[in-house]
Amino acid sequence: MLFGRKQKNPIKIADKGVVEWKYAACGYCSTGCSIEVGLNDAGKPIASRGVADADVNRGKLCLKGIFEHELFDSAGRGTEPKMREQWYEPWQNTSWDAALDKTHDEIVRIQEKYGRDSFAIISTGQMLTEEFYTLGKLTRGLIGTNNYDGNTTLCMASAVSGYKRSFGSDGPPGCYEDFEHTDCLIAWGSNLPEQHPIIYWRMKEAQEKKNFTLIVVDPRVTMLAQNAHMHLAITPGTDVVLMNALMHVILDEDLQDMAYIEANTNGFEELKAEVAKYDPVTAAKICGIDEDRIRHVARIFAKSKAAMQIWTMGINQSTHGSDGVVGINNLALITGNIGKAGGTSLSITGQCNAMGTREWSSCSGLPNYRYLENAEDREEIAKFWNVDPEFFPKKRGMFQTDIYHAIESGQIKGLWLIATNPLTSLPNTARIRKAMEKLEFCVVQDCYEDTESAEYAHVYLPAGTWAEKEGVMTNTERRINLVKPLATPPGQAKPDLWVFNRMAERFNTDGKVSFPERAPDIFMEMTEISKGRLADISGMDHELIEKQRGIQWPYTKEQLDKGEMPPAGGKRLYTEDATFRYPDGKAKLIPLPFIDNNEVPDEKFPIWLNTGRLIEHWHGRTKTGKIGNNNKYSPIPFIEINPDLANELGIVRGEYVRLVSRRSDAVVMAQPTQRVAKNAVFLPFHFFDCANRLTLGLLDPHSRQPAYKQSAIRIERITDQVEAARLSMEMRKF
Amino acid sequence: MFEVRDNEPEYALLKDPDSKTHNCYDAPIDMVAAGDALHDKSLNINDDSGVGENPNRYKQHGFYFNADNCIACHACEAACSEKNDNPAHIAFRSVGFVEGGTYPEYRRLNISMACNHCDDPVCLKGCPTRAYTKFAEYGAVLQDPDICFGCGYCTWVCPYNAPQLDPIKGQVTKCNMCVDRLEVGLKPACVSACLGNALDFGVIENIPEGRTQAETEIPGFPRTDITQPNIRFQQTNTLERDMTRVDSTAVKYHRDGSGDFQSTLDPKHGFKREWNLRKLRSREDPLVLFTLISQMVVGTFLLMFIGPMIGLEHLTPAAHSTTYSALLFGLLGIESYALFISTMHLGKPQYFYRAFYNLRYSPVSREVASLALFYNLLGAYTLLVTFPFVVTDWFGMSEATLASLSNIAGWATVIAGPVSLFFMHSIYRIKARPFWNHWQVLTSFYGNMFALGGLLVGMVYVSVLFAQGHQFASLLNVAAWLMLGGLILEAFGLWRHAVDMNKQGGEAAASHYIQCSEFGKTYVTRNSGLLLSIALVFIFLLVSPTGVMGLSSLAVIAIVMLATALIGRALFYVLVTPTTMPGAFFWKNKGFQEHARATGLAEMPQVGVVPDSH
Repeated sequence: MLFGRKQKNPIKIADKGVVEWKYAACGYCSTGCSIEVGLNDAGKPIASRGVADADVNRGKLCLKGIFEHELFDSAGRGTEPKMREQWYEPWQNTSWDAALDKTHDEIVRIQEKYGRDSFAIISTGQMLTEEFYTLGKLTRGLIGTNNYDGNTTLCMASAVSGYKRSFGSDGPPGCYEDFEHTDCLIAWGSNLPEQHPIIYWRMKEAQEKKNFTLIVVDPRVTMLAQNAHMHLAITPGTDVVLMNALMHVILDEDLQDMAYIEANTNGFEELKAEVAKYDPVTAAKICGIDEDRIRHVARIFAKSKAAMQIWTMGINQSTHGSDGVVGINNLALITGNIGKAGGTSLSITGQCNAMGTREWSSCSGLPNYRYLENAEDREEIAKFWNVDPEFFPKKRGMFQTDIYHAIESGQIKGLWLIATNPLTSLPNTARIRKAMEKLEFCVVQDCYEDTESAEYAHVYLPAGTWAEKEGVMTNTERRINLVKPLATPPGQAKPDLWVFNRMAERFNTDGKVSFPERAPDIFMEMTEISKGRLADISGMDHELIEKQRGIQWPYTKEQLDKGEMPPAGGKRLYTEDATFRYPDGKAKLIPLPFIDNNEVPDEKFPIWLNTGRLIEHWHGRTKTGKIGNNNKYSPIPFIEINPDLANELGIVRGEYVRLVSRRSDAVVMAQPTQRVAKNAVFLPFHFFDCANRLTLGLLDPHSRQPAYKQSAIRIERITDQVEAARLSMEMRKF
Repeated sequence: MFEVRDNEPEYALLKDPDSKTHNCYDAPIDMVAAGDALHDKSLNINDDSGVGENPNRYKQHGFYFNADNCIACHACEAACSEKNDNPAHIAFRSVGFVEGGTYPEYRRLNISMACNHCDDPVCLKGCPTRAYTKFAEYGAVLQDPDICFGCGYCTWVCPYNAPQLDPIKGQVTKCNMCVDRLEVGLKPACVSACLGNALDFGVIENIPEGRTQAETEIPGFPRTDITQPNIRFQQTNTLERDMTRVDSTAVKYHRDGSGDFQSTLDPKHGFKREWNLRKLRSREDPLVLFTLISQMVVGTFLLMFIGPMIGLEHLTPAAHSTTYSALLFGLLGIESYALFISTMHLGKPQYFYRAFYNLRYSPVSREVASLALFYNLLGAYTLLVTFPFVVTDWFGMSEATLASLSNIAGWATVIAGPVSLFFMHSIYRIKARPFWNHWQVLTSFYGNMFALGGLLVGMVYVSVLFAQGHQFASLLNVAAWLMLGGLILEAFGLWRHAVDMNKQGGEAAASHYIQCSEFGKTYVTRNSGLLLSIALVFIFLLVSPTGVMGLSSLAVIAIVMLATALIGRALFYVLVTPTTMPGAFFWKNKGFQEHARATGLAEMPQVGVVPDSH
């Protein structure tokens, strides 16, 4: 009141009228933040805030979490089950019974006519673990198709595969607390500030306390790369070469931890023989990092008391994805950087419950990292579920990417799509679209009815989303956290668990297999079969999980009975010698010969196409594309293009350009920036009918994950900008 | 009071155990002395009568921004909009960025900015309704949207784009420093949400733990001498010589010899001259007409009243009493229209009377008050001249009293008119808008006053005299000289303006660059129109055509002059480039906003751009 009016009105500050805060783990990425959602007196979710005493996020949230309460009544939510005879006919609302009966009958018909595996089920990393477990039981135990996979093949399959190859099992060994103890961090193809903002904050907090060396390997100058001590602007797709060269230097200069290698690994000599071929001089010419830097990084990494590596899609989404993960593990193993504070190889996971599906969905095997290939595992689970062990296939079936190829070529005739939208997310959209058209029967179960894939469905089942449901999720650091229902699904929509249970009733007519109705009961069933496994969760229950704001596995019944409470964080795997999951307890050092099978730019398609994420968007934008305070930062697709390249092509800032690959084309807006190399563009993948019209998506031989990040394109200037703008807008329903 | 959780994290708690006594501008940090009557008053937040127990309640607070650390994660913006329940198109805080270097030695500098709760809040001074208050509590500059009538003037004067005009609600809102959180010892929502450890908050000049600098500027941040903003920066990473903006604004930041960054022209759209006539339309369309009409009305009256005194017999009220009165009523009529459209241009026109609330500081209040005075005096004079019998017959006053009354009213109107135009010009002398902050605004306004006033008087009287078969050369001669003077005055001002804008550099040069490129052809047309008008009037004066010839040549001149004036004034509004902080590629990018409006993308609310309403 120094200046201004003497008589003032009361200060008005928005008061949303929160009367109650309810707990949930965030449903976006795999960081696993704890959220409190504020409800007003009408019970409507109207606010979000970070849970202050949750170890993961310590009160913080990213911009998506901050507006997560707006999800519940966002546009495009499905409210009625729908059916139609042909996908090109208009939808008719129907009852749940009719929709489920129809689905059941079609699954049976197709399996009888074409064989059990001709019906495929593709799920997601978005659901809750109890739902994954139930779907797995239904699929493996009753429906019996072996073509059952999750969309996690698109994001984490290479990490899974790499962990399995190196350690004998999936399961990231590190935790966020490692940032506080490390002396050197290499981030391989991981843009933490944008992809996992809260993990970035944890890292930043640690780095401000203890200025450890941060080395970023990324072809693009991300904020993380820019702020790193060293940025290695690598040639796309050549990470394995750099890894081999780093190991070459370490072994050449005798910087390895021989005691650790001897106690914990097999295959050292074979590895040594292979990396001998990758001297820095040779490697530099392939990966684009000069030999001095290679030597320097190798020395810093090997000499650090504790050195840690993280990676995300830059490694996974490559034809050498699984090899890249193995390479990271090799580096960690030869320097003794696994299972110790600050020394780890930590895959930064993608979806909120990608880990949950890896552990419990039975997609790639049987629950809790059990393998179909292992007779004991089959016996054990069959007995537990009360099904015939012979009903289980003896090896895993197809991955999501291969399933689509089998639909395309006619081996698979029916599909149940759950909470995923392949028409936006799979590479080479045209091929996916053609495959979808061919299906005799497709049922889409999703919380949104406006996903592009629903266009080709015969039945649509409206599902609940995130905190309309109850259950747990596992995050990047193996922390199981709880989601509790704080809203009800709109209209007739039902939680996915309810849908699975109703479907199970139709296949389980003799009532042999038990399908508990409540998530907490299912969780208790899961704890039973986790005993003695790597992911032992037998000490946990929903209540304890909420109380602890998430618990890292393993946490066993024995610990609970001894009165040993789960730690707030800092739990690691493989902390003792020779405790890896191969029978002899030793990890494998696997030699990685490099074969350059990328679609490398050439005369006709001279530009690297690198796809990736933006902080404000979540995957296919079905969620964030409808939330203004997220979407507004990038409402339409764009490329980052080097200004020198733009000048040569006559492209002006803010103009639309046409990107052409050997597959198809896309229209996007040009944002000239020196953030990208002159022979490369960066294109966010979130937008429908855009990035994935262009991508080739060669599959990794081990993980079957597509190489989204290495394709070749050419760029064409568009003369008719008005038409381009119209076209671009036409493709944006949201 | 704001709900504090038992376990609020450490980073969310205010901690200022010590503070300095004076800020870097040498102003005391204590807003009021101990024991001052302003102590221990409730802020009355949402009618809560509680008084916060923050020990630093009466010290100036401010944001601290560590530019080395900001990662542009938008968490601050999201937390702010979540707390303040803002729709996508409104943001009390925004993150923009500048970038420089060549791959891979590229560096991007992100800037997160809200209100700087300035020592000298130009928003507060500019606001005609006194919706703004600078509080003794925390030195917060708060704005009351219920008082605001949505003129948007604060959004013009603020160099930081802090006040947000919501065209949908028709009012301005802005950062409230989260005073509700401060009252209970919590840092603002944006600060508590920061994921880069970039944003902080506390008593001004206090440097947070682990930071070393308290600079007042970083590249991209507008000059601080306008308002003395309460924000301090750290920025230690070496930046490239040129840091460019990614939005459409033709400005970059160039490091000079002393290591400081100056805003300079970045001709990023090339030098092609274009028309872009459609882009001449803007939210300020009503102001184009309002200013031109008011200037014409004032000029017309000046000539009508002073004309007879310099021997223009035709202009005495008695000479053509009907024409004289009709013209006066005509002036009242079009000025009423001008005032009406400028009022309707407000977000909440029903509160137009609040325009008078801030005569002490606001040029808007002064303009409105003086123009209202002029308008009323003009009305009084018109009534006295048209209906003298009311005074003489009804009130029984003498003819002499009547004459002196109308004389007083006339002289008062003659004074009030140009004075109101002076205040009208003061509105645009905004430091944060260098393109406007030039004496040319005054020469333009007065130039138009003479030119359009002379034109209108000429047109009306010449038509009447022509119809009556009278000679009109002498009258027209004076009117034409007046027009010529006005036109030359405006042309001279524009010429000097263009020269000065280029010299000044930065945002001024950027405006001039847009004028010469994006609107290049329009600009040339306006300039040609002006020169053509001058030439035509000059020839007219030399030839002194009479009869039909005289009348029709005057009509031609009128068309050229009016079209030129309209284009010129529209350019004046659309060309201004404020000294705001940089935007991002989509968000807060004027270029993308225009694109979204033109293509219809703006129809989707989640794009965050409000569709055009004009």
